Amino acid sequence: MRRLSAYLAAIVAGCALGLGSALWMAGLWPAGRSLAFGDVDVDGWRSDFAIGSKTADPYTRARVARHGLLALAKTEAVYLTRALDDAGEPLREACAYRLSGGTMPAGWWSVTLYDSASMLPANTDGALSIDASRAGAGRWEAVIAARRPERAAHWVSSRGAGTFDLTLRLYMPNAALLTDPNGTLDAPRIARLSCEGAS
Amino acid sequence: MRRWLGPLLALALCTAAAHVLTLYLTPGVIMNRAMDALAQRGVALHRFTTPERVTPQTQSIVRSSPDLYYALCRYDLSKLGTVLDLRMGAWPDYQSLAFFDGQTDNFATLRGTGKAVSVRLLPPGSAAQPGAIVSPTTKGVILIRRLAPDAARFAAAGEAGKADLCRLREA
Repeated sequence: MRRLSAYLAAIVAGCALGLGSALWMAGLWPAGRSLAFGDVDVDGWRSDFAIGSKTADPYTRARVARHGLLALAKTEAVYLTRALDDAGEPLREACAYRLSGGTMPAGWWSVTLYDSASMLPANTDGALSIDASRAGAGRWEAVIAARRPERAAHWVSSRGAGTFDLTLRLYMPNAALLTDPNGTLDAPRIARLSCEGAS
Repeated sequence: MRRWLGPLLALALCTAAAHVLTLYLTPGVIMNRAMDALAQRGVALHRFTTPERVTPQTQSIVRSSPDLYYALCRYDLSKLGTVLDLRMGAWPDYQSLAFFDGQTDNFATLRGTGKAVSVRLLPPGSAAQPGAIVSPTTKGVILIRRLAPDAARFAAAGEAGKADLCRLREA
């Protein structure tokens, strides 16, 4: 009887361990884990260029199914995500940031803010992203903050986002970006300007 | 010590099996749940949706872009002898027709900047044909994206979408 109990306990524990370890390694559990994954890291902007394709490893496939369902393969669009500012601190609603960048190696680009559930933050500010058509040619800047800044050409609202991340979309990417992302992409910078409650 | 060898082996085997099985099944489970959620939100079988602009209040898919027009069509090619006719109407800016199978893989994408695109989708196992794509699974989702970063262009994309087609027919 004790032997049978030992086997039963081993089977139950093994199934729980296997399930939990798979979900943890794929970034699906516990909820709200960082999206820091992938084989590409350009100044903290991370991606897996196998997104959307059968060549993605099973962990990437599971994670993308949850966090990037219906994402395109890299020849059509590249998605990079960043959850930390330039100082390495998590991006959060209580702080204001300056997002800045230059010309992108793609036909069209955008930077969009998502909350920890990978959804657009529940606000009605109509300031969810900045894209190539609004930023114009050359260098560009936007302020990320929970309230509209008095002086800023572009604003991305973090109101209601809590801890958030940014996704950089690069549609119709240049071939060089796919082969040498670090040498090709001048990744946007995220400088923290201030935080509520900070002295 | 030896009496624990069996249970320890069972623990290791079950852990490995559950780990692999979870990873293998997760994309399909998530895709099925997403398809059900899309159906509940009015995404019909074999017809492109007339989408609302993506906002925090209308979003239904994770990490949707508020700068894009998304039109979705769910498909089911499980009935023998059926094919899907697809057309993406012309749009002067970026647009694409992307195919996702039941495992979430993006198995084909056709770009159509400045032009209309027509193609047929065939069930799994079909022989390759000119002007046709073979789906790896019987069920999946087709997604048209059009660059439309403001309200006026979104409205124009909606007009262009009137020429979109997703229709099941007998082969």
